[in-house]
Amino acid sequence: MAFGYHGRYLRIDVSTGHAEHVPLRGELLRQYIGGSGLGTRLLIDENAATADPVSPQAPIVFAFSPLVGTPLTTSAKFAVVCRSPLTELINDALAGSGFAIAAKACGCDAVVVVGRAREWSVLIIEDGAAHLEPAEDLRGDTCSVAEGKLRAKLGPQYRIATIGPGGERGVRFATISHDGRHAGRGGTGAVLGSKNIKAIAVRGTHQCEWAHPHELIELSRDLSERSFGPATAKYRELGTATNLLTLNRFGALPTRNFQRATFDQASRFAPAALGAAHARVRASCVACTIGCEHLYAVDGAPVRAEYESLFALGSLCGVGDTTAVLRASRLCDELGIDTISAGGTIAFAMECVERGILGERWLTFGSGDAVLKAIELIGRREGIGDLLADGSRRAAMVLGHGSMAFAPQVKGLEIPGYEPRALQTMALGFAVGARGADHNRSGAYEVDFSDKVDRRHATVDSVRHAIDTEDRAALMDSLILCKFLRGVFTDFYAESAELLQAVTGWDVTAGELRDTARRIIAGKREFNLRAGWTPQEDTLPERFLNRPLPDDPAAVLTAEGLRELVTEYHRQRGWATGE
Amino acid sequence: MHVEFLGIPRERAGLSEVELDAATLGEVLTVLSARFPALRELIPAGALHASVAASLNGDLFVSDPSTPLTSADRLILLSADAGG
Repeated sequence: MAFGYHGRYLRIDVSTGHAEHVPLRGELLRQYIGGSGLGTRLLIDENAATADPVSPQAPIVFAFSPLVGTPLTTSAKFAVVCRSPLTELINDALAGSGFAIAAKACGCDAVVVVGRAREWSVLIIEDGAAHLEPAEDLRGDTCSVAEGKLRAKLGPQYRIATIGPGGERGVRFATISHDGRHAGRGGTGAVLGSKNIKAIAVRGTHQCEWAHPHELIELSRDLSERSFGPATAKYRELGTATNLLTLNRFGALPTRNFQRATFDQASRFAPAALGAAHARVRASCVACTIGCEHLYAVDGAPVRAEYESLFALGSLCGVGDTTAVLRASRLCDELGIDTISAGGTIAFAMECVERGILGERWLTFGSGDAVLKAIELIGRREGIGDLLADGSRRAAMVLGHGSMAFAPQVKGLEIPGYEPRALQTMALGFAVGARGADHNRSGAYEVDFSDKVDRRHATVDSVRHAIDTEDRAALMDSLILCKFLRGVFTDFYAESAELLQAVTGWDVTAGELRDTARRIIAGKREFNLRAGWTPQEDTLPERFLNRPLPDDPAAVLTAEGLRELVTEYHRQRGWATGE
Repeated sequence: MHVEFLGIPRERAGLSEVELDAATLGEVLTVLSARFPALRELIPAGALHASVAASLNGDLFVSDPSTPLTSADRLILLSADAGG
């Protein structure tokens, strides 16, 4: 067998309980590596593009990688890949920590789950054998409670991924949670929930061999040492919360459903201010030397404070009360719903109320209590929460009155915390993203914050930079390595090739990995084409086009200008624009 | 001229802004290195480390040490990876 791999995946039909190992060809593994890439390939091969995402036929893939289980820092990650119930396009969401290591130790490079269990169940995989156990007693439990109960019942050697009440009730942006982290975007939790699977528990003893273990250990040591340097200092010392002040300073902080791009209460969310108001501790994923997680105490318990959650539940909803925002973030985590889509959809509803399109008068910008109430309703699919649980695009379709123009989404996925008019290379990245508006599959904001482009006046020269960040992200998500490491590489593709050589023994080169990244991006597009995607969907909502930002008149993105960028993107990708 | 700090540069400088005299970006970095030793890790060999970005007046980003500056300019030093 190839080094670094088991050379097979485990396919489980939870309708029947039947599990089988399916061989994976070495050539396919080399072409798609693992994580997002391997998951995309398996999803295509399962003919998932035309299956209703929450039907028994729809597969959900948990994909690992050759680096999982190695001493390489940040490599303990897994990808969850499925057709999204939110976008109905391909969706890949990643999470870190011990589940990846334990699941790969079950003797497989991926787990594919299809079918629908007859009753709520826990899927238990131990060394390649799978069975279902009843989970009726876990119904309604939050992610952390369910994980804790299962660990107490099964033993500490199991690693457990769960859904929360959001996934049970089919919230279209429900997550899959493990160890406090989430495969967060696109509704993976709703897909697992549609199979009546509350949790997956894994334990295994199968370790892969590495082609060049001594070299790998040296490379791992070197990468860990570099991960302590200035390239990761922001994550280690401040956490991503510090982005809020930066984006506010540059007029790029989405506020009040993207009606403004500066927030007068932003300073409350600076790490120093958060630390003064809430006791802070740090944490990290398993096998990570960065330690990016900064947790702030609220009501006597720590809450992860990530930029995307703070922006979505804070400035986007006009809420400056840090206690309310941290409570809202924790509530999303416990219910198992994506903070970005939750905040985006709630902010959209707030604007609908403001415009008289929606009658929920309590749902007003600036009210932390309203955000908390809305999240509760979404998690239970009660009242207005039933509509909002379907995301802003579907809510706009129902509400009408031109509300689609300001629904903050691309292809159905709510937009992360980067104002597209102020960061126009990112605007392109959002528009063309295979899973919708996304900052993890396109890191184009990095380009906007550099001397490569004029962030408020994107030209076709921006396109190659956007493509470059998308390619790098595709490779990192397939290796899998945490993106917070990206700054420590001086030649990312060459160094990635070295890591893969040491693990797999392949004579892989930087050039081959560039091709691999593009193959993975093309694979996602292939899936989306089969799912009914059209090039016209590569755009932004009307709100962002032809009108300047109210607080920055120089920030204008014209519809024609964006169309030119998208057309050039398709051309440089080698895709016919009319296809 | 005015220099603002955000992110790790603010942590290292220990303050959010400072006034100084300089005619180029390189001169600013030299002055900052001398005044704030903790910033030197971010200004190796008189240039910006890859983890730090510099914006002129919140508009264009600059990195060439010979970039001319005026006394009316505001330079913002920030952590380059503004995402998360």
